[in-house]
Amino acid sequence: MGRSIAIVEDEPLIRANYVEALNRFGYDTRGYGSRHDASTAFAMRLPELVIIDIGLGDEPEGGFDLCRELRARSATLPIIFLTARDSDFDVISGLRLGADDYLSKDTSLHQLAARIAALFRRIESLKAPASSETVIEHGPLKLESERMRITWNGEEIPLTVTEFWMVHTLVRFPGHVKNRDQLMREAELVVDDATITSHIKRIRKKFIAVAPEFDGIETVHGVGYRWRP
Amino acid sequence: MTLRRKLLLVALCTLALPVAGWLYVRQMEMLLREGQAQALEASARAMARSLVVTHAPLPQGGGAWFVQETPNPITIDGYGDDWAPMTPWSQPLGARGKLMLAEDGNWLYFYVDVRATHRVRADAGDANVMAADYVVLGLQVGEQQRRYLLASAAPGPVSARPLDPPAPGFPDLLVAQWQEDGSGYRVEGRLPRKLGIDAIDVAVHDAGSVDEPIASWRPLLRYSPQLSDELAQLLTEHVRARVLSPDGWVVARSGHLNAPVAEASDQPGWFASLVYRSLLANPLEDAQPWADEAPRMNLADVHTAGGGGATALWRQGETRGSVVLAVAVPLGGDAKDGVLLLEQASRAVPLLANRALFGLLMTSFGVLLVAGLILLTFATRLSVRLSRLRDAAERAQANDGRLDGQILFDRFPMTDAPDEIGDLARSFERLLDVVGGYTDYLRTLASKLSHELNTPLAIVKSSLDNLEHAALPPDAAPYLARARDGVARLGQLVRAMSEASRMERAIAAAEPEDVDLGEVVRGCADAYRPLAGMRELTCQLPGSPLILHCAPELIAQALDKLFDNALSFTPEHGWIRLSLRALDDGAEIELSNQGAPLPAAMQGRLFDSLVSLRDKATPGDAPHLGLGLYVVRLVAERHQGQAMAHNLADGSGVAFVLRLHGMPRQRLGI
Repeated sequence: MGRSIAIVEDEPLIRANYVEALNRFGYDTRGYGSRHDASTAFAMRLPELVIIDIGLGDEPEGGFDLCRELRARSATLPIIFLTARDSDFDVISGLRLGADDYLSKDTSLHQLAARIAALFRRIESLKAPASSETVIEHGPLKLESERMRITWNGEEIPLTVTEFWMVHTLVRFPGHVKNRDQLMREAELVVDDATITSHIKRIRKKFIAVAPEFDGIETVHGVGYRWRP
Repeated sequence: MTLRRKLLLVALCTLALPVAGWLYVRQMEMLLREGQAQALEASARAMARSLVVTHAPLPQGGGAWFVQETPNPITIDGYGDDWAPMTPWSQPLGARGKLMLAEDGNWLYFYVDVRATHRVRADAGDANVMAADYVVLGLQVGEQQRRYLLASAAPGPVSARPLDPPAPGFPDLLVAQWQEDGSGYRVEGRLPRKLGIDAIDVAVHDAGSVDEPIASWRPLLRYSPQLSDELAQLLTEHVRARVLSPDGWVVARSGHLNAPVAEASDQPGWFASLVYRSLLANPLEDAQPWADEAPRMNLADVHTAGGGGATALWRQGETRGSVVLAVAVPLGGDAKDGVLLLEQASRAVPLLANRALFGLLMTSFGVLLVAGLILLTFATRLSVRLSRLRDAAERAQANDGRLDGQILFDRFPMTDAPDEIGDLARSFERLLDVVGGYTDYLRTLASKLSHELNTPLAIVKSSLDNLEHAALPPDAAPYLARARDGVARLGQLVRAMSEASRMERAIAAAEPEDVDLGEVVRGCADAYRPLAGMRELTCQLPGSPLILHCAPELIAQALDKLFDNALSFTPEHGWIRLSLRALDDGAEIELSNQGAPLPAAMQGRLFDSLVSLRDKATPGDAPHLGLGLYVVRLVAERHQGQAMAHNLADGSGVAFVLRLHGMPRQRLGI
């Protein structure tokens, strides 16, 4: 039996499609139509990964509440938001509540599967000791690709999967300018330029929160970004 | 015409006030004058009656020779120099002659001046004297008369020949002087006063005319001190009286015209006098013919009084600002006896009238000033308020129906006013609220719609994904691919729709920093060069760094859009120019490119969202929704500037201008 995944989605057609697709990928997937159903089921047993829609039936913020609930019960449970709401504000709220990733509903099933696989891999690798070849070290920066973990002077930077891939892209070739398209491709993200800009900003903030003197990501106007060598 | 000017014109209506006042003061003055005239006329009639009752020596009716008083002795020489002061009052004698009579203490002088160009000369003793020019002088004392003939063949002394037999008291010989010049001759002589002559007859014979000399006996009339004394007894103060003969000779005179002595402050100034004369007292006679010393007053009014009725007349006084009232009444029942003329100087009337007029002028000027000021203030306030309203409406209009910050926070101006402008402002506010709400609805419609579309799209998409794993007949594969393509395009559309609102939020959240704009533009130009292909890309930057408080990534993003736009419209071997210029309060980035000019219809909405100039997307390609220039505009507005597009003057292409003024500096801390 594969890993257990729960999908909380009020739209039955989408729920059915995702459940079927994920089952086909080899996961043990259950779908729940409301926050109440999900909470009841989770009270019995927690799944290994949860995919939540924000608006649940007549609760516009039901997904957020559920996420908070789950995070309270388990700090390590991977949570992915999959929603039609794509405003920056929602993304930030979702991630701040402790979700590991935030996907828009136009994400394809394959990409969703890839994200899920990445998250599971991360959990796996966090359990195992880090192997040397997958670690990129750059001054105070330490990037463990297997664990999808980035530390600065030994302190962990809480990046999302998307953000991790973006930093990964930059750090792999320090000094090389990566344009927005490249960053988007690496992060398997299909968004506009402005979103890339805001992602970069968020990444910077997260670094600065840990290390106030941080200025590793340099903007090359009109082109893109690069990791300061 | 502005509202202010109109109101000022309306304010001119208040000018009617002083005009009405002026007419009123005029009327008052007329009444005052009328009353004064009636009073003086009454006293004149009373005086005339008492003169008759006391049997005062009044002048007799009919013609008379007036004997003037000569101030200086007269030399008998036949020349008129001595007579000069009396000449204006000479008495006509026949058609061409003049007679003057004068006397001093001892003598009665006579002076005959005859204009005769054709002369026939003969001495008085000559036999042909009756055919020559001569003068007959007749004297009457009591009932007795005697005539003398005066003639001369040459200038010089002449002796008169008596024509009548001698009579007691009359001189036998009359000596005179005869002088002539080209225009005529003059006879001058004198008689002793003690003769007591009562009447004189002067007849002039002109040899050139056939007319016989007509004897015209006339009594002598003199200025009468006795009558003057009687007048003085009847006279009140400040009144001058004159008794005139029916011919207008002044027979008696008494009194002085000195007006009551006024205080210095009461003395009207020249301006007041001028105002009085020009505005109030139009019908004033000249003072000249009324001079005190004139022995004769040959005035129309006097003659009218002589006809039986009383007349009153206002004339200017001798002193400045004074007015003299003159009343003429006939003496006795019959006007043949002469006329009594009373004059009274009146300063009160002009003073009163002047004061009234001046008070009126000052008051109405003050009222006019106050009214004008009030109206001006009112009109100015009204137009200021109206222009504020207009400005606010225009500002709202310039913002495409969205209310700008000021209106949003301060509300629409003047909505608290309780009057009609307040009503108008409130209507405007409501209208703009509705328009703003509707515009907001329209603007957010795309993102709302995209949000709603996302769910069904996800259903189709995930179903298609699942379908790939279902056992399908091979025929179905192309349809599946087409459905996938359609969903992909639909997805792009929806994303583009939501992108606009996301972008607005992203742009609004951008944080400014101090950046050298030249570096940003140079970096962009370097990045674009590989993309330009065969096209020529030039970049003009100012020599010195151009520091601006801005969000460089936003500007770079806007430039990306502009460049992308320029690239798609520039022909294969065309040119693209990027330039940066410093402004007084910011910077201006211009990106011009070769290409077709902008269609006129698009000028205004080029920078709106979901507007595109490009051809319909080719199949398989993503449709273009014209978000690029909208982003440019948002970026420009975020930097308190504006984005503009215009055709180049030479028609070779199009220029897009990004005018930036820098973002407001944020305060650090709370």
